[in-house]
Amino acid sequence: MRKILLLFIPFILLIACEDHGIVPLPPDTTTGFGGKITFIGEWPDSIKRTHLVVFKDPLESAEDFNILNLKFLSFEIPFGTGVYYYSSKDSSFIPATGTFEPGVYHYVAVVQQATEIISLNRKDWWVAGVYYNPGDTTKPGTLVIPENTFVRDIDIICDFDNPPPQPPGGN
Amino acid sequence: MKKQLYIFKMKKFLLSVLMMIVFLPASTLAQTYSISGTITDTHNNPLPHVNVILTGTGLGAASDINGHYKIENVKPGKYTIVFSAIGYKKLKIEDVTVDKPVTLNVILKEEIIKAEEIIVTASKYEQKKSDLPVSVEIIKGTNLTERNYFNMEDALRYVPGVNMTDDQISIRGSGGYSRGAGARALLAIDGLPFYTGDTGEIVWEMIPVTEIQRVEIIKGAASSMYGSSAIGGVINSITRDITNYPQTRVNGFYGVYDKPYYSQWDWSGERRPFNGLTLSHSNTFGKFGFNISFSRLENSGYRQNDYSKKYIGFLKAVYKFTPKSSLMLLANTFNKRADTFIYWKDSQNALRPPDRNLGEKIETNRYLFGLVFKDVISDKVFMNVKASYYHNNWEDNSIQNNVSTSGLYRGEIQINSSLTNNLFLITGVEGISSNVNSSIFGNPSSYTVAGYAQLDISFNFPLKLSLGFRYDYTRLDTLKGSDALSPKLGLNYKLLKNLILRSSLSTGFRAPTLAEAFTSTSTYGITVKPNPNLRSESNLTFEVGINYDLPRLVNFDVAAFHNEYYDMIEPGIDPTDGFAVFDNVVRARIQGFEFNTVIQIIPDMLDWRLSYTYLWARDLDMNKALKYRPRHLFYSTLDFTISNFTFGVDFRYWSRVDEIDEELVDLGIVPDGDLRVPVYVTDLRASYNLISLGLPLQFYLNAKNIFNYNYVELIGNLKPIRNFSLGFNLVL
Repeated sequence: MRKILLLFIPFILLIACEDHGIVPLPPDTTTGFGGKITFIGEWPDSIKRTHLVVFKDPLESAEDFNILNLKFLSFEIPFGTGVYYYSSKDSSFIPATGTFEPGVYHYVAVVQQATEIISLNRKDWWVAGVYYNPGDTTKPGTLVIPENTFVRDIDIICDFDNPPPQPPGGN
Repeated sequence: MKKQLYIFKMKKFLLSVLMMIVFLPASTLAQTYSISGTITDTHNNPLPHVNVILTGTGLGAASDINGHYKIENVKPGKYTIVFSAIGYKKLKIEDVTVDKPVTLNVILKEEIIKAEEIIVTASKYEQKKSDLPVSVEIIKGTNLTERNYFNMEDALRYVPGVNMTDDQISIRGSGGYSRGAGARALLAIDGLPFYTGDTGEIVWEMIPVTEIQRVEIIKGAASSMYGSSAIGGVINSITRDITNYPQTRVNGFYGVYDKPYYSQWDWSGERRPFNGLTLSHSNTFGKFGFNISFSRLENSGYRQNDYSKKYIGFLKAVYKFTPKSSLMLLANTFNKRADTFIYWKDSQNALRPPDRNLGEKIETNRYLFGLVFKDVISDKVFMNVKASYYHNNWEDNSIQNNVSTSGLYRGEIQINSSLTNNLFLITGVEGISSNVNSSIFGNPSSYTVAGYAQLDISFNFPLKLSLGFRYDYTRLDTLKGSDALSPKLGLNYKLLKNLILRSSLSTGFRAPTLAEAFTSTSTYGITVKPNPNLRSESNLTFEVGINYDLPRLVNFDVAAFHNEYYDMIEPGIDPTDGFAVFDNVVRARIQGFEFNTVIQIIPDMLDWRLSYTYLWARDLDMNKALKYRPRHLFYSTLDFTISNFTFGVDFRYWSRVDEIDEELVDLGIVPDGDLRVPVYVTDLRASYNLISLGLPLQFYLNAKNIFNYNYVELIGNLKPIRNFSLGFNLVL
């Protein structure tokens, strides 16, 4: 009995030596982006919808807020959320296919709406938070998405008490 | 003439006899000596009540409370001296030459298998382990220091039937992972329950491991004695006895983490150090005695943003009013400043957090004050009065600046009565109150009142029967109050001298914590809302076990258990609004069996402990496994002792868990979070005791996770990679 038990020890050690457990997966080659949105302060009761949006060109005039310039429109972010993690790999209204094109995007923001149904009219929206490049909050940040790369940490802070500058065309 | 001669001879004879009477004893005394000395254990602790026998003479003595002994009137010669005490290996010293007073200091080694271990946790009074109706495990305090453990939690990973998911304990599958909200086991320190007032979580790192004498683990529901949280079992940490003489201890360790197995995980390019140092002192002045210690632990972390520094203060002071009554003060303080590592960036960066979490920190301040008054009212009645206050405060540096402060007050009166020689009654009442001031949980408060009774009956068969119940009424702030009745029945039957059958049927419950009922926050992309309808969860536990013991050869223990859980509280999603909420959603069943053995391959030199637990933990509503429950647990500990050197191998296997927090993976919150594997961890250790050289010093060398096996207990959290440490324990 004791000899059998003693033979058991090298068997266990053999199992332990052979295997090193978790192996890193290959890097994510999905073209896209993701990050965290943090909401600070009380949500205004008037808000009916909240979305993450990405525009290809800068919003320099009211006309830039158009469906052709809008390259990403997320599904709705729940009312009252404090911290929200998102990924372009998740389903979204735009692009409906879920595949995101590589390139340079000039305006990434969290926008909110007071109407029950979704609207693409600029006057129905206001910006709650804007993405800034690290270390520069003087102007909206630029999102660069290389091909076959998933860009992480595109984080946005929405402070209801200190809203960001609004792009042209709003109320 | 003849008569005169006779008288003269007679006088001479009488004079000689008188001379002998007068001088012989003196001459005899002048030719005897004493043998004296001090008896200690391997940790330089004096051992009282050790029998010291001079074989073949009828002479002997017993050591006093300071370990001193003295045998007097020993004639010159060569002797064999035997030292014996319960729980220690008998020591025989032959050919001791006595031709002058002899001083003989000896060290007794602990027996690997103790004949009778005493347990205080199962029924809140001292009982022999072999008399209990439930499964119990014991961890010796020396096991913690010899392995250079940071905290108790590390030791629990090798307890049969127990597994950990990060810092949350599961006894025979009782717990999964609830991110700090509630625990399905109760932790106590010297019998004082020890959980936070807001989340009800266990803070293992607060108890200094160097102050622990032993840890008792009761498996299965123990709410009939301990109330809420003891639904899966009780872990009672018993602290060291206060010494009757000044004793100072210095315990320390220094170690480094090795490089990660995969080069892409090597974020720092260096071997990261960790260290710990504890200073403690114990003494008694008349009626007053104390243990005091101060610990500092620092860990630079094998993961990025995982640095921590902790300070632990501990005081145990006892004042004995009379030999039968005493008051104990227990104070335990804890300060931690640490980085926050919640989960990895991804599997390519398994030792780095997401970039956004870099720089996140938390500061924690906690303290526990407890008073325990013990009074032997009569030969048959004993009273125990406990009161404690547990304060918690933590604050992080997140954007939301989360902060929470809670206080938990507890009072208990317990009376033990020996009704007859065969009837023992334990009764008690308990009151608990807590209040919270938190940015997450709001400002709720709660209270519980409870009463309990247990009758232990000893028959001559020999059968021991234990009957008990407890009633708890709990009210959480504005919610409707709820009550719980927790009965139990236990049997212990000695089939043969070394063959013991035990069985128990017990019930448990866990009232929701304030955190579970009142949390209102958003995290990980999920908004959590309060649930005013949350009720207590409960369970019914049945166990049958058998223990067979062949002293100095083998001990077998087999147990089968069946647990039914009702209204298990789990976080879920409310389909009406998509918000997360804690709710009574799970009806679960946990079945299994457990096999433990200790084999003395070479008695007193090489012994092997093996345990295997099979767990079938199912969510009956969803017909799937409960989260974070491995199906197979296997532990092996090999100990080799020769002279003052010990060598050991600890091995642990947990099968891959079937179910995890899939929603955190599906939402992309924890990238590659579904990566998990079975756990194979092997630790090596060696120690050397210099006490035989007159130095009360021990060295410990540890190599943990020697095969650098990479695994997670909680998704996205790689457990410690291979590390080496050198420790010491100096007793002055």
